[in-house]
Amino acid sequence: MTDYDVIVIGGGSTGTAVARDCALRGLKTLLLERDDIASATVGTCAGMISSGFKYYDEPDIMDMCSQEVVYFRRIARHIIMKDPILMPFSELEELTRGGEASSFTDEYAKRAKERGVPPVMFLSPEQSLSIEPSLNPDMAACLYYEEYFIDPFRLCLLQAIDAKQHGATIKTYCEVTGIEATKPAKRVTFYNRATRQVECADGKLIVNAGGPWAGKVAAMAGAPLDLRLNKGAHVILDRRIVNVGISSKAADGRWIYLYPHENTTLLGTTALDTWEDPDVIVASHDEIEYLLKSMEWVVPSIRQARIIRTMEGVRPLVPEWKRSEDKVTRGYRIIDHEKDGVDGLISFTGGKLVMCRHMAEAVTNLVSKKLGRETVCRTHLDSLPGNGADVDVLALAAEYGLSQHAVERLRARRGTETSAVLALTKEHPEWKSTICTCEPVIEAELRYAIRNEFPQTIGDLRRRVRLGTGPCQGTFCTFKAAAVLAEELDLSGEQYQLEMIDFLAERWKGKRPPMRGGQLGQEELTQGLYACVANLDHTDLPYELKPWEEAA
Amino acid sequence: MSEEEAYRTVSATLEQERIIPFKTDELEVVRSAEKCVNCGLCLNHCPVVRAVGVDRFSGPRSIAVELSRSPPDFWSTADKVYLCTSCGTCREVCPFNVNMPDIVNMVRARIFKQRPDLVPRGLRAVRETIAKYSLAFEPWEDPNEKTESRDARLQAAGLPFIKDRTVKGAEVLFYPGCQAEERAQEVKEAAKFILNYFGVDFTLLEEMSCCGLPSRLIGDDETSRSLAARLREKVNLLGVKKIVTTCAGCTSNLSDMSVRDNWGVPVYHLIEFLAEEIGLERLSEAFTEGSRAGEVLTTIHDPCHLIRHTSRQISDHVIAVLNLIPNVTVVPSGVADSCCGGGGMVGYHSRDVADAVVAYNLGPISATKANRLVAPCPLCTAQIERNLFNTGSDIQVDDLAVFIAQRLPQER
Ligand SMILES: Cc1cc2nc3c(=O)[nH]c(=O)nc-3n(C[C@H](O)[C@H](O)[C@H](O)COP(=O)(O)OP(=O)(O)OC[C@H]3O[C@@H](n4cnc5c(N)ncnc54)[C@H](O)[C@@H]3O)c2cc1C
Ligand code: SF4
Ligand code: SF4
Repeated sequence: MTDYDVIVIGGGSTGTAVARDCALRGLKTLLLERDDIASATVGTCAGMISSGFKYYDEPDIMDMCSQEVVYFRRIARHIIMKDPILMPFSELEELTRGGEASSFTDEYAKRAKERGVPPVMFLSPEQSLSIEPSLNPDMAACLYYEEYFIDPFRLCLLQAIDAKQHGATIKTYCEVTGIEATKPAKRVTFYNRATRQVECADGKLIVNAGGPWAGKVAAMAGAPLDLRLNKGAHVILDRRIVNVGISSKAADGRWIYLYPHENTTLLGTTALDTWEDPDVIVASHDEIEYLLKSMEWVVPSIRQARIIRTMEGVRPLVPEWKRSEDKVTRGYRIIDHEKDGVDGLISFTGGKLVMCRHMAEAVTNLVSKKLGRETVCRTHLDSLPGNGADVDVLALAAEYGLSQHAVERLRARRGTETSAVLALTKEHPEWKSTICTCEPVIEAELRYAIRNEFPQTIGDLRRRVRLGTGPCQGTFCTFKAAAVLAEELDLSGEQYQLEMIDFLAERWKGKRPPMRGGQLGQEELTQGLYACVANLDHTDLPYELKPWEEAA
Repeated sequence: MSEEEAYRTVSATLEQERIIPFKTDELEVVRSAEKCVNCGLCLNHCPVVRAVGVDRFSGPRSIAVELSRSPPDFWSTADKVYLCTSCGTCREVCPFNVNMPDIVNMVRARIFKQRPDLVPRGLRAVRETIAKYSLAFEPWEDPNEKTESRDARLQAAGLPFIKDRTVKGAEVLFYPGCQAEERAQEVKEAAKFILNYFGVDFTLLEEMSCCGLPSRLIGDDETSRSLAARLREKVNLLGVKKIVTTCAGCTSNLSDMSVRDNWGVPVYHLIEFLAEEIGLERLSEAFTEGSRAGEVLTTIHDPCHLIRHTSRQISDHVIAVLNLIPNVTVVPSGVADSCCGGGGMVGYHSRDVADAVVAYNLGPISATKANRLVAPCPLCTAQIERNLFNTGSDIQVDDLAVFIAQRLPQER
């Protein structure tokens, strides 16, 4: 007797997509994530569900990306936004060199219609400047194209929730520590961080979606798995400081970008081969300067913008070596470790957020075949929770006596679920109060998320509702959110304080590397509030420094 | 695809995604909003928050840290940002001088394009008036009636009529603003009288047109810019060296426009012009010769557009000038610099809010036992007068220009 047909390890974009597909096809599924859903790589990505046109020399990947965009717009349109993008060129010759431009504009054009966008176009400097006055006027022309962006946190969470609603078991804070790939049942041992117990589960097959940790996971079963780990940093700027996205060549000729994203702007990204522990990495001074310096050529005022934090993630690339990172395929590989004599373990290398559903479909096909089950994939057809009819924001705001903007932002996260969140305030009108002032987030949404989306920490709430992601970086919501969480989860006073410190420490990880200018004053205020007022630095708590924190 | 076609396609996407590109001069406003650290100091000083509470008007902090972050969402802030009176109190107390009034204008400019239906109805009506007449108030249908009204007001104020004049190459353009042009005509006349008295070489516009502030506050950025450009052209044609106005809003808006668009012509409120250009000495002499219209105990209201948008020094000028007038005693109310609620076009759609704001001032004004209140702005004057009247107060409210004109010698 086995407990599960499939045990999925990892709750990033890939793992949640796999769990969803398996569950939708009626397979008994368990997902184990050592931290929270979307807490690793996927949470540091730009969320671009790209046309793939940077990979014009891999036409099949472009085909896949374009098709996936069509599917995402069908199943999750409520969490998708479109960014028009300008790519300025200083010399026309730059455009035509090596036929690069014509290749990618041609490849892009072939798939533009299905994605619902016009072909790549050229704009004069005057036209470009009227669209984006921050651009350096010293340009020959701009290339214009359009890309879609998805909220990566909500996507993963919705995939997990959908899986759960279709019978899957989702366990967060459960770190897999051992895999016994014996026949017929495979035993997975994991440490449950919430209960502090070692537990185990048996499954017929194991899918390793451990992202950059996939190698370590495979090793637990004695299977070899090579990955090319490549780290990348983003600098996050307060608010949308550009009207449209901007894409340009960096100091070393790589492509970098400045994308308006939700209510922030993302400057990214770097790409460095890495052998560091993905758990400790933070953006380095060099990465930040590389990005600022490179973007400064096209947006000269970039340094005046307020940097709120950085984020650093590790791409689990396909192990193609001895070539530059951007020449490595952006596709993915499915590795059936049967060939290594480890039956029943399947791993991924490579891939991207945009192809997570595709990866899941492919692996679930394989899983079904191995299990001898006839199944049909529906993940491209069935909506994710919240995807549905338009939400009448103005009517809801009037009905509940809430600010229209608060309801609109709620809608952008939750689509048709908006009404269910607001309905909580009928019994508890006091839950209309604002918890996060920057996003904003009202108390009802926190309660709703805690009750329906299995968060255990304030950080988990951040991923679910964008709490603490604004310019003040949690200064004015941390203590309020901790109080709500403590009440809902019945936490002790000590746990309540630890929650605050944990969250502030997590924010510090991204705030510290780029800290400068306006953010210094902000930090003074944060420290003043939590140290001087709340005395958190003088409480005797069993707090352990995080890997990225320096010892005092 | 030709560049024009491409641009049209791009514009269609921008519109669909509700992206209304920032203008170069707005980028500075965006950067100002970025400075907010969410400290909340401003919240305790915003007169609208004080009057109606944060549930109705979420206040300056929320505008900086929340409502102004994502332009494509600006349409959803229409229930809040139209309630800002543009008083600038928050900017004054903010440790980073976050420029709220301009942030609010920038947001409104996008709502206007994204969802014109969400622009408050009262403002849409003003917009139509402006579109039709290039004036913020509907002009008199019958010019004779306008003259009759003017004469009645002159008579009530006890002021003589100074002939209108348009002179190319004059030193000063006197710009009365829409309110004094069409409604409070006594203010325009008083200013003409004062300028004439001091022998200022002034001219009026051939044809009055709005400075663009109301359009700017409505969010109709295009009309605002075209009105400003039109006025600039008229100013250039006249070849004047200075602009003098009696309206607080016109003073600050014209100053802004003059700087933003490089007019090269400084803008003065009449009281600044008197204090700085005519000089207290000449004023003093004139007042000594002037009529002694009985003892007056007066208190002052300082318009936001003067003291916070232009210069706090103007407040000192008002006191200095009033102190020169025999028989006039100034009593402080303690609320002179507190917003009257008349700004930001709030009264045009949410009169209850505008009146709740000024309600704070009424008690302290009455408590001064003054029998007069003067304000260097016809808009503040009207707003305070109406609200004092409604509370049964018998304090008379005068525009400062009228008050001064009445105390100058009538003949020379
Ligand atoms: C800077 C950057 C920008 C990017 N931008 C884009 C983009 O714009 N568009 C795009 O399509 N892609 C982008 N990518 C790529 C994309 O983010 C990743 O390829 C993809 O999200 C990886 O998802 P994943 O689920 O495989 O990995 P992860 O998100 O890392 O998930 C792996 C999960 O496994 C868990 N795990 C590990 N070990 C264990 C264990 N022992 N037990 C239990 N759980 C375990 C981890 O905690 C983690 O949550 C970007 C990547 C980076 C780094
Ligand atoms: S300008 Fe005045 S009314 Fe507007 S937010 Fe600031 S203080 Fe409040
Ligand atoms: S606008 Fe200024 S005063 Fe108000 S919260 Fe922001 S920083 Fe503080």
